[in-house]
Amino acid sequence: MLNRIFGLETEYGLLVNQERPDHSPTWFAHQIRDHLFHVQRRGILDLHHRGHDEPPGNGGFLTNAGRMYLDMGHLEWASPECESLSDVVAADRAGDQLLQEAVQDLGLADTVSLIKNNVDHETDATFGSHENYLVSRRFPFTRRGLGPLVTFLVTRQIFTGAGRIGTAGPQDGWVQMDRLLVPRAMSHRYGQEALLPFQISQRADYIVNDFFEWVQQNRAIVNTRDEPLADPNQYRRIHLLLGDSNMAEVATGLKLGTTGLVLQLIEEGYAPLDLDLNEPVETMQDLSQDQSRQWIVQLESGKTISAIDIQEAFLAAATEHYRGQDDETDWVLDQWEAVLRDLRGDYQTLVGRVDWASKLWLLETFREAEQMTWADPSLKSLDLEYHNLHQSKGLYYGLMEEGRVPRLITDKAITLAMDHPPRNTRAFGRGELVRHLLACGPHEASDDPKPEERFSPSYVINWSIFQLRGHAPFPMPDPFKTYVQEVRTHLRAV
Amino acid sequence: MNHISMPERREGPGTPMPKAPSPSDEGGGPRKPETGSPDKDNLLKRMRKVDPKQAERYRQRTGQ
Repeated sequence: MLNRIFGLETEYGLLVNQERPDHSPTWFAHQIRDHLFHVQRRGILDLHHRGHDEPPGNGGFLTNAGRMYLDMGHLEWASPECESLSDVVAADRAGDQLLQEAVQDLGLADTVSLIKNNVDHETDATFGSHENYLVSRRFPFTRRGLGPLVTFLVTRQIFTGAGRIGTAGPQDGWVQMDRLLVPRAMSHRYGQEALLPFQISQRADYIVNDFFEWVQQNRAIVNTRDEPLADPNQYRRIHLLLGDSNMAEVATGLKLGTTGLVLQLIEEGYAPLDLDLNEPVETMQDLSQDQSRQWIVQLESGKTISAIDIQEAFLAAATEHYRGQDDETDWVLDQWEAVLRDLRGDYQTLVGRVDWASKLWLLETFREAEQMTWADPSLKSLDLEYHNLHQSKGLYYGLMEEGRVPRLITDKAITLAMDHPPRNTRAFGRGELVRHLLACGPHEASDDPKPEERFSPSYVINWSIFQLRGHAPFPMPDPFKTYVQEVRTHLRAV
Repeated sequence: MNHISMPERREGPGTPMPKAPSPSDEGGGPRKPETGSPDKDNLLKRMRKVDPKQAERYRQRTGQ
């Protein structure tokens, strides 16, 4: 899409299928990571400390220029920088497939399952699917400027949500007042409705603020951490952690594509006005939990309106200004319109395109066949199984096998994305670097460092810069540039 | 298999993507499920193989 870099970060759950009290999910995560790097040689592990919880060897970049690593005990896949929706969807699926292939290669396919979801029903743990959108530094990153984005994000869950059984318990929320963090008034709902059969979003219960910079607590609709991973004078990275991990390719493409278009509307001053929500955090939870699926929200003006109407206002503005801008924009506009139209009718027409609808249909089908109530605890296990990446077990893949899942990309594109970066962004240059270092063999023993460099790692790679020992740092501040010729020249001189 | 295909990788002008399907279009989005249809049976078979207690064993740490 026009002038946009997209990226996705996915944290995976690991279900240990057999009773293995000696091995935690994190132990298996280490085995899978080590297999990817040491046996399959998909990439090179970091030799330096990236942060307090990322010691050397914790993860690294792959030949496709994305990053595989452990974060808080979870395997996490960060896609390379992508300039098109088809590339980012392919990169997302490539991450799934890289991990699943490693599990199968290790002979662990019957022992552990990779679960691409965001909640643990029993412990209330949550883990994320983060979206990244590069915008200009001139983007109006203020409460007022971000108002339309908040409205859009809160209401987009009607087609981006992955659905779940039940609710999470109360979450701590904090707001900043002057220099103090004080408890935020909690949702009015907790304690009133302990058992909810099904809601459309996995993450809504865990979003307790509208704007905040933390990522492990006090999660906000818009994460305000300023970390562009690019030239900070030119760019800002909009980092969102409110979304669910999607299985459906249409849902992933629509989530990123519609959000990209809304950011463009805001950048260019075309976003619909007067749609600011009254209490967006509570509204997010209300929408997710609305069993009637009427999705009526209250605006700051006091007016009530449906989330579908709000989405249609954004769709109308995007259609007016951006129809014909490029093929992917037109695809997003067409799909957005179709999904909103279908949300007004029978949800079953959305099976295969919208994850919550697919999951709800599966659960309803099973409940009816087995004469179960929503309180039956085995439904939580089916909820998890929807996200199982094992293609002959996972329920999403069962729908795909039955021809009920429209595809955006081909299997060939996914296979290509497992090894190769997009060739039109900074990822291309980084991929060249990783291939070069992989071909060089063992990194520490191969050269003869000067005494003052003896304790420096032989390479350091970050998203926007790398350095090889004994050579000047190589900055890559523009994600739209491939840097590939410059990287090749640099490597020839090494 | 339904496809709402996008170009695999676009570095220049590509071919237009197909229009979004309506549920009634031939070969478009998924049809309304029919009770007792073979695909439903296959999916039920897959769901019945799921360990009903696996959610109790999931035990994940909170992440980001």
